[in-house]
Amino acid sequence: MSGFTDGNGTGLAPGEIVVDHASRAFSIRADRGGTLKELLLRRRSAGPAPIQALDDVSLRITPGQTVGIVGRNGAGKSSTLKVLAGIVPLDSGSVTIGGRIVSLLELGAGFGRDFSGRENILLGGALHGLNRPEIEARMDDIIAFSELGDFIDVPVKTYSSGMYVRLGFAISAHLDADVLLIDEVLAVGDEAFQRKCEAQIARQVAAGATLVLVSHDAALIERTCERVVVLDGGTVVFDGDSGPGMAYYHHQMGTPVEAAPATASAPASAPTGTPDP
Amino acid sequence: MAELTRYRYLFEQMVRRELRQKYQGSALGVAWYIVNPLVLMLAYYFMFGVVFTLSEHDDYPLFLMVGLVIWIFFSQALLSAAPSLLDQGALIRKSPFPREIIPGAVVTVQAVTFLVVLGLVAVITLLVRWTFSPALLLLPFVLLALYGFVLGFSLAVSVLHAHFRDVAPILSAALLPWFFLSPIFFAPGDITDKAAARFAMEWVNPIAPYIEAIRRILYEGHAPSLAGLAYVVVAAVLAVLAGRALFRGLQAELAVIV
Repeated sequence: MSGFTDGNGTGLAPGEIVVDHASRAFSIRADRGGTLKELLLRRRSAGPAPIQALDDVSLRITPGQTVGIVGRNGAGKSSTLKVLAGIVPLDSGSVTIGGRIVSLLELGAGFGRDFSGRENILLGGALHGLNRPEIEARMDDIIAFSELGDFIDVPVKTYSSGMYVRLGFAISAHLDADVLLIDEVLAVGDEAFQRKCEAQIARQVAAGATLVLVSHDAALIERTCERVVVLDGGTVVFDGDSGPGMAYYHHQMGTPVEAAPATASAPASAPTGTPDP
Repeated sequence: MAELTRYRYLFEQMVRRELRQKYQGSALGVAWYIVNPLVLMLAYYFMFGVVFTLSEHDDYPLFLMVGLVIWIFFSQALLSAAPSLLDQGALIRKSPFPREIIPGAVVTVQAVTFLVVLGLVAVITLLVRWTFSPALLLLPFVLLALYGFVLGFSLAVSVLHAHFRDVAPILSAALLPWFFLSPIFFAPGDITDKAAARFAMEWVNPIAPYIEAIRRILYEGHAPSLAGLAYVVVAAVLAVLAGRALFRGLQAELAVIV
């Protein structure tokens, strides 16, 4: 696993991220395994051409930096996060990250539905390489943060979707991340819980964690990120301070730039800036 | 390797989960893991011990049971390992833990139930046939080799099935004739005198030496032949190395394809 070390021995400081000429294409047909027939005939059924999700991307993110990744749908944002998380390999180039990476991708996915919230906390911690005492030490904080109360001891299949996500976030938020990778997940949960999540993320950033956030929520990016990377067609088209970065993004999206400052005071009018269907 | 020690607790969690998940909510719960092979063994005993009694082996039911319990472990482990990566796709897409843990946990659960059932069969066999001997000391090593052999096979099968979805159906089709060609309800010498056929049955079929070695120890009360012992150890090492190499080679894209 050449490019995907998640810890010590990388030569990087905890929280440092170096992406070096990273490229990755996805073949639409590759979203599933092949069949024997295709193997024997030595060909794959015809399909759309591969999509270049990352095309020679280089980034250097210093410890403690807060970076927002924006771009139109299919620009390569989620691929970037999956590559950073070490879940999807690169075709060429490399990614090196120092310290513990915690990704808030697909919160709550993989929960054992027949298992209690408490048991799923153990699994969630174990997935990030923690052992039992390390997880037990965080257990009370996680349960308190999730606001699940007595529900923590019943099978998660009885949970509402909001409770599911709250538990997922509570676990990820208590793993002492050096690097936090967040993909749109803050759009879930009620408003009070969203604020609580943001506050928790801010606390971790204040404690020195690096944050990489993918979102279509321009206001959220402006609130949380000092640096913005705009991706388009798998390449970096803008990389700099979030003020000019968001202006560039709004321009690219065809949204009036003056919409941006308005968002802070009046979230309701917030950037129609997500022209996605 | 350091990765695997770091994720030891995850492995433990996956084993627990696997053990409990399957029969959660049923009255017998985890006991089903034991009841199922016992029922299967009773059925085979009825078939080959009562209906077709063609055997010259003393205490034939015990002869049969020892072989059968090994076969059940081997086949159940492979059959449950094959779809395991797809079943846990949500975890694979979410987190970059070592993927070997998934088939490893599945095989370990089967190994635990195998040990329980084998324990029952072993105690009965030893008491009925009074085959206590120093050879019993070899049993843990042979069982460990068997575990490695099955684990290596399972790693290969699981990652192959993730890439080619025909692997599990091919496997379940192959296991049936394989069962009848394995020396489970007969010894190779019972059905042929031809040297070539005996050789094929005893050595080409890789599960046969494991059955033979364990049956020697429990049923006959002798140590396995030196060649047999060497075979089981070498086959286990080769299976683990080959299975792991194949898994490592094919695992990179798992998050994309499962």
